[in-house]
Amino acid sequence: MRSWVGVEGLVWAGAPSSTVTGDVLVLAVRVREPHGYAEARAGRFVLATGAVHPVQIDGAHVIARAPWGSTVETFGGLPVVPRFGARSYDWLAGGRVAQKLANAVTLGVSYVQRREDGDISNEEVGADLAAAPARWLDVAAFGAYDVTSPGLAEARASAAVRWSDWRVELFGSQMSPGRLLPATSLFSVLGDLASQTVGATVRWRAAPRLDLLASGATQDVAGGVGGNGWLRATLRLDDRGAGSLGVEVRRVDVPGTQWTGVRAIAAVPLGKGFRYSSEIEIVVPDNPDGRGAAWPWGLSALSWRSLAGWEIAGALEASSTPQQRYEADALVHLSYALGGAAQSHPVGGQYGTPR
Amino acid sequence: MRTRLSLVMVLAVVLAACASVLGLRHDLPSHPFEHRAHVLKGINCVECHADVSSAGETGPLHFPDDAVCRRCHEKPHDNRSCTSCHGEPYVRQAAELARAQLRFEHPTHMIAVRGDCVRCHTQVAEARPETVLPKMATCFGCHQHRDQWTMRDCDGCHVNLRDEGAPPDDHLVHDGDFVREHGVRAASARDLCASCHTDRQCASCHGEGTVPALPWKLALGDVSLSGLHRAGFIARHAEEARADPGLCTTCHSESSCVDCHTRQNVAGTSVRSPHPPGWASGEHGVQARIDPMSCASCHGGAGEQLCVGCHSVGGPGGNPHGPGFTSHKDEHHDLPCRLCHGVGR
Repeated sequence: MRSWVGVEGLVWAGAPSSTVTGDVLVLAVRVREPHGYAEARAGRFVLATGAVHPVQIDGAHVIARAPWGSTVETFGGLPVVPRFGARSYDWLAGGRVAQKLANAVTLGVSYVQRREDGDISNEEVGADLAAAPARWLDVAAFGAYDVTSPGLAEARASAAVRWSDWRVELFGSQMSPGRLLPATSLFSVLGDLASQTVGATVRWRAAPRLDLLASGATQDVAGGVGGNGWLRATLRLDDRGAGSLGVEVRRVDVPGTQWTGVRAIAAVPLGKGFRYSSEIEIVVPDNPDGRGAAWPWGLSALSWRSLAGWEIAGALEASSTPQQRYEADALVHLSYALGGAAQSHPVGGQYGTPR
Repeated sequence: MRTRLSLVMVLAVVLAACASVLGLRHDLPSHPFEHRAHVLKGINCVECHADVSSAGETGPLHFPDDAVCRRCHEKPHDNRSCTSCHGEPYVRQAAELARAQLRFEHPTHMIAVRGDCVRCHTQVAEARPETVLPKMATCFGCHQHRDQWTMRDCDGCHVNLRDEGAPPDDHLVHDGDFVREHGVRAASARDLCASCHTDRQCASCHGEGTVPALPWKLALGDVSLSGLHRAGFIARHAEEARADPGLCTTCHSESSCVDCHTRQNVAGTSVRSPHPPGWASGEHGVQARIDPMSCASCHGGAGEQLCVGCHSVGGPGGNPHGPGFTSHKDEHHDLPCRLCHGVGR
């Protein structure tokens, strides 16, 4: 039977200090025409489509599709006030129109307007593109243009090619932080000092159980040029990836911040549902400025998972941060999955491919 | 000479160990089933997989048991079950998952391919466990499914994609640095993402007042998870924010910083100013333009009056607008313009 209606909820509660707090993150009904001609969501959910930035709303989102590849979306609602705070009844509304071309390219145009106390806090027109002209090539891009304070608020592009054990992605972005703030904020009027990033990420499966991942980017942050990069190696201890060892080295060198970090991980299955894991990170800032010469962090955890769906984990975490010279915490995590333990794909990929 | 021989032997042992660790050599007693050897002997697939031509969408798998093997292998070389060594156990497990999660039946397909199983099981002869089951790309070789793809109608084949949890490996590959990449990938295909992903997953990061301690974020045992906030993020979060101005706004509202700092007791009137000496008369303007979010996180809302005190029209702070600044707002009536340009200023 094809499902046409679903309900989803996510509620959390916690006690971050002496007070107990909580919130409803998701509470939405999703209705779908069985063949996909239309679908609608109503309730509390995260709205993100086209170049519209993700925003959590209490509202509705309707999508209509045509077999020739046209899509029309419209949405509206009240932006969520966290932690059951006082409602100001601000609202947002917008939509997106998209067309699929030659079964390989999707072009979309979106619009969103958001108001706070009656004033426009965000008004953007966006365009998005996705193309997969060949099985080995994926291209995607979007740009959002700020109508209130005319200029490009954000643009991102990515092109990835895959062949054999390699994957190479080229990416670029431009962000104008002043335009990403609500236009009702005083700090949105300071002018446009955008930052640009251009870089590449390479993934190489050097051996069936060994993945090497490297990424590097050059950044122009408000006229100051810098860059960042990292190298990560992950070795699976078995074909199924149940255990793994990993190491990552990272360097950030942009105006305003320079630091080097090293991270190592180990996850070792002990049998009978037990698993030991450990993670260590050390960050060394170039200019400590009295915040400590290095910021080490470490975590060791022992977890046990039952077939009935129970999982219990205990961990010790210790660190030295710019805020705290020494800090140690004991963590306990207990969970139960309704319906028993989730079926996991034994080798990670789609019915049979080692990840 | 003896030293050189010892060195070679040590090297060989190390290489053999590496081959096992890297997955170049399997050291388990089980191994991929010898499909190729059976085909070369002229054995038709259905001689062993006898039930396949009548198997429906549900029911037992069409894997042969020991009795089927012993029809030919009359004198087994071992007392154990044949399948304990011949055939990787997780291939069977993957097939069971596929049976549970896919709408598929062999008989109609066997008619279409005229009994030529290799049309779908294209790489079954290769002695690798991951090649036994056909990939989705193989399905798409005959079934274009363009309309279903366009209409996001996956239910025709997939029982419930959201519960299935199978990462795609030949389309929409979540590879490389996908945490960074997913935003641009999702822009044109959010509803496609929603075929598998729930709103809960989006809200755990993009929710207003983002929750720091949802269960899957506290996956203490899964250290291989990547993500922006893994490991000692608290120590380096200020550096991360400086390295990519505006990135935090992707998930966090401008009040997130001060909310958290207040909870952690590192903000408020009792704390000394975080700004260096001479900040107000020095570079605060330049820094504010680079990352206005940082300023807004503490000085937003009522705190904006601190800026207005100096930068209102005619004030000692001068014009705060950057070069080329334009706005369509009414400077006397709209927020935030009226704070400085309002009637009477």
